Amino acid sequence: MFALEGVRLIDFGQYLAGPFGPMIIGDLGAEVIKVEPVTGDGMRMANAPYFGCQRGKKDIALDIKSPDGIEIAYDLVRSADIVHHNMTKGTATRLKLDYATLKEFKPDLVYCNTYAYGLEGPLSHFGGLDPLYQASGGLEYEAGGVQHGNEPLYYRFGMTDASNAMLSAVGCLMALFHQRRTGEGQELWTSLMDGGLVFSSDAMLVDGEPVPRPRIDKDQTGIDALYRLYRTQDDDWIQIAAVQDADWLALAGVLGLSELATEPRFATAASRHEQRAELDSLLEPIFRTRTARQWILAFDDAAVPGEIPMETRDGETVLFDADNVELGLVAEYEHPVRGLMRQFGNLIDFSDTPGHIAGPPPMVGQHTREILRSLGRTDADVDDLLARNVVYEPDEGYIERFGY
Amino acid sequence: MAGALDGVRILDLSWGIAGPLGVLMLAEHGADVIKVEPPGGDPFRGYSGAHVWNRSRRSVTVDLKTDAGRAAFTALADTADVVVESFRPGVMDRLGVGYETLSATNPRLIVCSIPAYPPGHRWADRPGYDALVQASSGQQWAQPGWRMGPIFLHMPMPSMGSIFLVPMGISAALIAREKTGRGQQVTTSLFQGALLYTTQIWLWLEDADAAFHGLMAKTYPPGVHQQMIFECANGEWVHTSVMSGLTPKRSMDDILGLDDMPDAYAFMSASAEERQQYTDLRRAAFKARDRAELIGELQANNYAVEAIITAEESFDHPQIIANGMRATVHDPVLGETTQMGVPIKLLGTPGTIVGPQPTVGEHNDEIWGGLGYSPADAAAFTGAGSSPTTTGGT
Repeated sequence: MFALEGVRLIDFGQYLAGPFGPMIIGDLGAEVIKVEPVTGDGMRMANAPYFGCQRGKKDIALDIKSPDGIEIAYDLVRSADIVHHNMTKGTATRLKLDYATLKEFKPDLVYCNTYAYGLEGPLSHFGGLDPLYQASGGLEYEAGGVQHGNEPLYYRFGMTDASNAMLSAVGCLMALFHQRRTGEGQELWTSLMDGGLVFSSDAMLVDGEPVPRPRIDKDQTGIDALYRLYRTQDDDWIQIAAVQDADWLALAGVLGLSELATEPRFATAASRHEQRAELDSLLEPIFRTRTARQWILAFDDAAVPGEIPMETRDGETVLFDADNVELGLVAEYEHPVRGLMRQFGNLIDFSDTPGHIAGPPPMVGQHTREILRSLGRTDADVDDLLARNVVYEPDEGYIERFGY
Repeated sequence: MAGALDGVRILDLSWGIAGPLGVLMLAEHGADVIKVEPPGGDPFRGYSGAHVWNRSRRSVTVDLKTDAGRAAFTALADTADVVVESFRPGVMDRLGVGYETLSATNPRLIVCSIPAYPPGHRWADRPGYDALVQASSGQQWAQPGWRMGPIFLHMPMPSMGSIFLVPMGISAALIAREKTGRGQQVTTSLFQGALLYTTQIWLWLEDADAAFHGLMAKTYPPGVHQQMIFECANGEWVHTSVMSGLTPKRSMDDILGLDDMPDAYAFMSASAEERQQYTDLRRAAFKARDRAELIGELQANNYAVEAIITAEESFDHPQIIANGMRATVHDPVLGETTQMGVPIKLLGTPGTIVGPQPTVGEHNDEIWGGLGYSPADAAAFTGAGSSPTTTGGT
């Protein structure tokens, strides 16, 4: 049994912050049905980022703007526990897919709308993309080291898409737990903007003044002389994390600085942080005297926390690492058009109700007929809906029309 | 009004970011969270962020290395639904409070473990600070920056993935328990937290082509979305977006006072040299404008644009305020603070900040007393009177 066995989620989302949450909920055993426009998800053209958020879903291509299409959508909602999407404010109401409408079909429904900005407020009518909320949440300022005269820096990982999606997934599961215990459904929302601020949740004001928090250095190596990257003799790098007193003493031992290490001004982590400039200039030339490999061996022997940053060739070494594959951290599946794909696998392990990857990212409308049959439509009904472009299933023109 | 997790009791033994911040989402939606600390306190209380990550819970201390402390903790775990811990694999078993032991008397118990690496991995015993997992998982090399080589990620990425996996795993196990009547061991790791953020960039294809990975490909200097960052007057920066979901009323070039600029299609088909000339013109136009004024004008014309600000400045953002993300919390150490609010909005069972980070062992009398321990008995395992050993700096 999977943790979320028997849970059905209808995913009306497009792009990334919508579909990613349902994908992860699917990995926990829920059945996820992606309702895709007959013209395809607007993000399909993005390829890798798009496919990264779609695995394991069943896909019905449906024109929800048509009278027959919306009836099919309502039938899907009746069969579901969760509805999830990222439409801009007002769109769901216009499409008659808002919570007030849908709870008439399914009174205990969990209904989640993820927004760019939020439900109410001065900018809530705007959509927007991830970089805006990396900006507003303080990420780009800190990542780039703007206070040193550097340009702001965008994190390439799509941080707030993922954060918003995961907030929505946590919210859906908490609401579903409440529903299972009380029979009550509810509406919930999250936003890219709030998702951005979560990354800066260590930021605080006291009497309107910022409480000091770690800041990156000009060269983007780290936030402390003992929590940063150092360049080694072979032009490689090593990351150290000599956070606790014992780590500092062990590090100093390996670097030949034992006498200095016990001086009072280096006695605590806070005082060592104050001496960052001196420690940086002391340690940088020492790290240049041995290779990264030599350092890490010495550090491991002396219990100094350190790692050599891994150059993964954009994930390839991680996705083909034997331990990662064996432990299920890598998922491999065969896409009907693109062939074999690999992506990260299970992110949470359960002793009794293991996760699973249900399959590859679906083609547009790949499961249209199967889903319509499960809703009681006959093949003749389906053919009629196809003929009227209310639904779509892959045909000989598929590649030309959608690529993948 | 009751929270979604009302009646769920969670014992949080974890330190750092992943456990405390992950549990926070459950604590602020109704769960009764008790932070279980060693006698001197969680050694990571010196982090500025700990005041936020550890709020909305009570605190007890217990020395798990003593028989009396172990017995008291086990008695407390018998009253709990969830135990969360972030020790290296095997430490809980060595302390005699592993899943097998605790579930023998409380089979409904869910134990959520957050080591740095998954149990069974050859790295399982490697040190587990966030930056080390950034390094080992390849994220530092994956991020472009202002020099070649690995870039330190100021935002602690592996932990920031785990903060979502922790409440998700616990919630899923609670949902499963409604059906099975049994708890289970749930495990995630900082390493898996880092993998979460590779969704958009790490998709291996047997039959790869450049176009498939083009959009999010790593470039030097940094590529995707970086070109939409502009400097305004006074050294202030903005990020504009290609998409707002609304129809622009005027062209951006018109707003910038630029004449004779190509439309998007003409720009794309121009030569690299011409494109650079247009880009330089736009950069100069941005640089001549006051940021606040320009943002107002762009937004009024339906362009999505945000000031690139510090996290502290975000507390003044009108939409952050509208979202309830600017909260006032009276912290017993710092006083009146402004902190992040509750980011998940459940409209039927709204979340709420329950209280500040408790002081070390603040609720010893209340909680151990509730289990029948007199303050004198409890002193044998709470280490009452011992001084905190906190770590500052990072």
